[in-house]
Amino acid sequence: MLILTTLATGPAKHGFEIAESILSISEDILQVEEGSLYPALQRILLKGWIQGDWGKTEENRRARFYRMTAEGRKQLDREVERYRRVARAIARVLATA
Amino acid sequence: MNLSEWGRRLAGVFGRNRAASELEEEMRLHLDLRARQLRQQGLAADEAGYAARRRFGNEMALHDASARVWGWTAWERLLGDFRHAFRGLRKAPGFTAVAVATLAVGLGMNVAAFSLVHAVMLRSLPYAEPDRLVSLWEESFRGEPSQFNTSGQSLGGQTAAQRTTVSPANLADYAGSPAFATLASFDVAAKNLTGLGTPERLQGEAVSANFFDVLGVKPSVGRTFLPEEDRDGAAGAVIITDQFWRDRLGADTNVLARSIMLDAQPYQIVGVLPAGFQSPYQLTIPDRVEVYVPAAYPRELLANRGDHDVNAVARLRPGVSLQQAQADLAVISANLGKQFRPTNQNIRAAIAPLREDIVRNVRQSLWILLGASALIVLIACVNLANLLLVRATSRQHESSVRLALGGGRWSLVRQFLAESLTLAGAGCVAGLAVGFLLMRVLVWLAPQNIPRIQNVTMDWPVFAAAAAVALATGLVFGLVPAWQSSQAKPAEALKTSARSTGARAQARWRSALTAAEIALSLILLVGAGLLLRSFVRVMGVDLGFQPERVLAVGVNLPEFRYSDADRRLGFFEELERRVTALPGVEAAAFANRLPLRGGWSSGINLESSPLVMREPDFQAVSPGYFETLGIGLERGRLLVRSDRKGQPEVAVVNQAFARQYLQGADSIGCRFRRSGARWVTVVGVVDDIRRGGKTGEINPQVYLSAAQTDLYPVRLADFAVRTRSDPRQLVNALQRQVWAIDKDQPVTNVRTLEEIISRSVAERRFEMVLLIAFASVAVLLAMIGIFGVLSYIVNQRMGELGIRVALGATPARIVAMVLRQAGWWIAIGIGLGLGGALALARYLESLLFEVRHRDPWTYAAAVTLLLAVSLTAALIPARRGAKVDPMTALRYE
Repeated sequence: MLILTTLATGPAKHGFEIAESILSISEDILQVEEGSLYPALQRILLKGWIQGDWGKTEENRRARFYRMTAEGRKQLDREVERYRRVARAIARVLATA
Repeated sequence: MNLSEWGRRLAGVFGRNRAASELEEEMRLHLDLRARQLRQQGLAADEAGYAARRRFGNEMALHDASARVWGWTAWERLLGDFRHAFRGLRKAPGFTAVAVATLAVGLGMNVAAFSLVHAVMLRSLPYAEPDRLVSLWEESFRGEPSQFNTSGQSLGGQTAAQRTTVSPANLADYAGSPAFATLASFDVAAKNLTGLGTPERLQGEAVSANFFDVLGVKPSVGRTFLPEEDRDGAAGAVIITDQFWRDRLGADTNVLARSIMLDAQPYQIVGVLPAGFQSPYQLTIPDRVEVYVPAAYPRELLANRGDHDVNAVARLRPGVSLQQAQADLAVISANLGKQFRPTNQNIRAAIAPLREDIVRNVRQSLWILLGASALIVLIACVNLANLLLVRATSRQHESSVRLALGGGRWSLVRQFLAESLTLAGAGCVAGLAVGFLLMRVLVWLAPQNIPRIQNVTMDWPVFAAAAAVALATGLVFGLVPAWQSSQAKPAEALKTSARSTGARAQARWRSALTAAEIALSLILLVGAGLLLRSFVRVMGVDLGFQPERVLAVGVNLPEFRYSDADRRLGFFEELERRVTALPGVEAAAFANRLPLRGGWSSGINLESSPLVMREPDFQAVSPGYFETLGIGLERGRLLVRSDRKGQPEVAVVNQAFARQYLQGADSIGCRFRRSGARWVTVVGVVDDIRRGGKTGEINPQVYLSAAQTDLYPVRLADFAVRTRSDPRQLVNALQRQVWAIDKDQPVTNVRTLEEIISRSVAERRFEMVLLIAFASVAVLLAMIGIFGVLSYIVNQRMGELGIRVALGATPARIVAMVLRQAGWWIAIGIGLGLGGALALARYLESLLFEVRHRDPWTYAAAVTLLLAVSLTAALIPARRGAKVDPMTALRYE
């Protein structure tokens, strides 16, 4: 979901940029091995939620730029919705406590 | 998981190398960028690199994780298994070759046999709603038939109900049955075609007007016959085949405006049949039927219910069963019997599904083929099971080691599975090739009269079924031992040595399987032996005449130009005179029918016993007939040139005539007559011949002088020439002589008598060759089985044998000991096989000739042969056991 959210806005990003933006959005709370981003990318690539196209970075190096697909946007909506439901439920439970 | 995801997955499998390098590049970029970022934050260059790596995690593990995402790992493991299996099999070339060959032969034979049977017997006929089509014929029961056109094969031999063709006069009554929607009749009607190149004899059929409607076939051009064209005296109309239209008329689009000359009369073309049309009759003969003309039965024929000479095919009304129709016909037949006492009282109509009726003469051969191939598949499966068991046992030690080293049980089983599958796959591919080849061989070998034999194609469902059986065998017998060994306690297995781990239960299994193989082979061997003995008997039959160097041809003079018997006789006498004068000709003769070409029988009364009706075969022959065919004179005189009209009527008879009709008294001088005709005096007795061929009966036979008789409607049609050298060389000269007399007269059925005889035993030969081939393969497989099992056992007992040798056992004793072990299950196998053969051989009974299906000699020979082969196969490993060097053997321990 994190990756999808990252890709939901703005231009297509390559792996490093995705990692950076996840870091910055989550304000360094989510500290994982950066490399585990790549198997995750492969997984959602296989699911068809994102699409990768080779292009050039600003420094003129070859890199794969990921974009979200229509399928991916639907998936993100679903996940966000599910997350909200869970969050609301938790919030209610906490409120009654 | 949706479809497009599968698509990406599959694409990933093939593009995996590129994908991996792409991933590598992405990761490299990430690391570089991170390192640069860290450097900018002030770290030293190498320190930054390390830090970037630390943050990134284990690169190799990440690669693996990505690969797993794509499902590559499972794939890779599978490939690995197969690669391993392949290597393992390649390292055991003997085992692999034998296993694959076993599978290939088993599958190939089965699929070839079944394809043939399917094409001939099971595939539905190429007509509309073929299941409603029935063949109709008449049967004469009790009593004697008055006068039949009999084929050469069935001359004489009265049985309970004798099948005969239908009397056209009865057709209308049968067609009136409510069980039938329609009923059509058809009969052979060969025609002389003239006016289109050289004159030719065409195969044709005379059919009732509704014939094509009954079959549900519509002409591609024109129409079917009109009822008014199917009347006696109507102008000639003809429907031609697509082939005729293309080959002889150049696919003329204006074909309906043309007419052709058949038997010197014009026939208007009214229709062209669709390409590939085959009439029921066509399905049973290799020659091509090219023209169909209306039957147009003459008034006299329709008035005489005793003349049986057409075939009938009917279409049942929808929903009417065969039994209903049969019951209905029984009523009609009974009524006709009462109404028309002399002709119909012993005649009844019978029906059978057209599809079954067409194959009635070959059904038995095909069942044998199928049965034999089923036995072969069984043997092949048994052999394969045996081989796999042996191999699995020999690898038990390996399995134990792998388990002990921590190999997973599942991966062990998977390994065995991969090997079985590789083997089965190779076997299937090879089996397919063998099957294709065998199919060709079968079609080439089969007698030509098997219906639809040329339409045989590979039967894929059957191949799939056979392959599935083989695969299942491979899997079960490959897996069970694998599973067993994977359950083995590695510690215990390791404690025992590599060779002695064969479980007793498995050894018993293998012996039982080998015994089964021997039993199955013995059944086939006995079958082959019985047919072989029959064939030898058949070939040894003395025909009573000399068929060597005799050329036989048919010359069918058309009614139109040769309207009376004298003109026909004139033609044949002229031809005989001309041909006798040709160089290289020893003798020439003509007759209405030569031996093996059908015949004619008729009822007579002898002067000595006027009240008894006799029914000998009749022939009208020229004086040279006996010399040309090499039939010896026993007493009296032969026919001579002066036996012509106006002279006393004479006949020559055979010995059977005297034997059966005169209680052995001399025939010469005795007189007989057909009812209402003049008396005929017997002037000579000649040797018996088998007119029907090798397996034909010897019937009482009367030879009349062709120049004299109008005793019955003689139709001179056959001409024979005895030559000094190869009779084939005379064909063209003979043809020229015929054309010299009548340039429009074709010559047909050109064959040497030896060819005709060889054809008459073609079916027998086919059956015999088949069974011998199958039995040979079976014996070979059994040999392999015995050899394999015994080699294995000897290998296992190598240490023990070594000790025995060391303690002073002679090689002879060792051999005897090993053979004794094999002897048990060989004996059991032979015992079982004998039982099976006794039970199954009676299905061969009707194919045997002067050999009983329990012929003790055949059984003894088959057992002896199998025993010899089995012991030979056992001897090789046994001798290897005897030759064992005690030191080498003991060192194994």
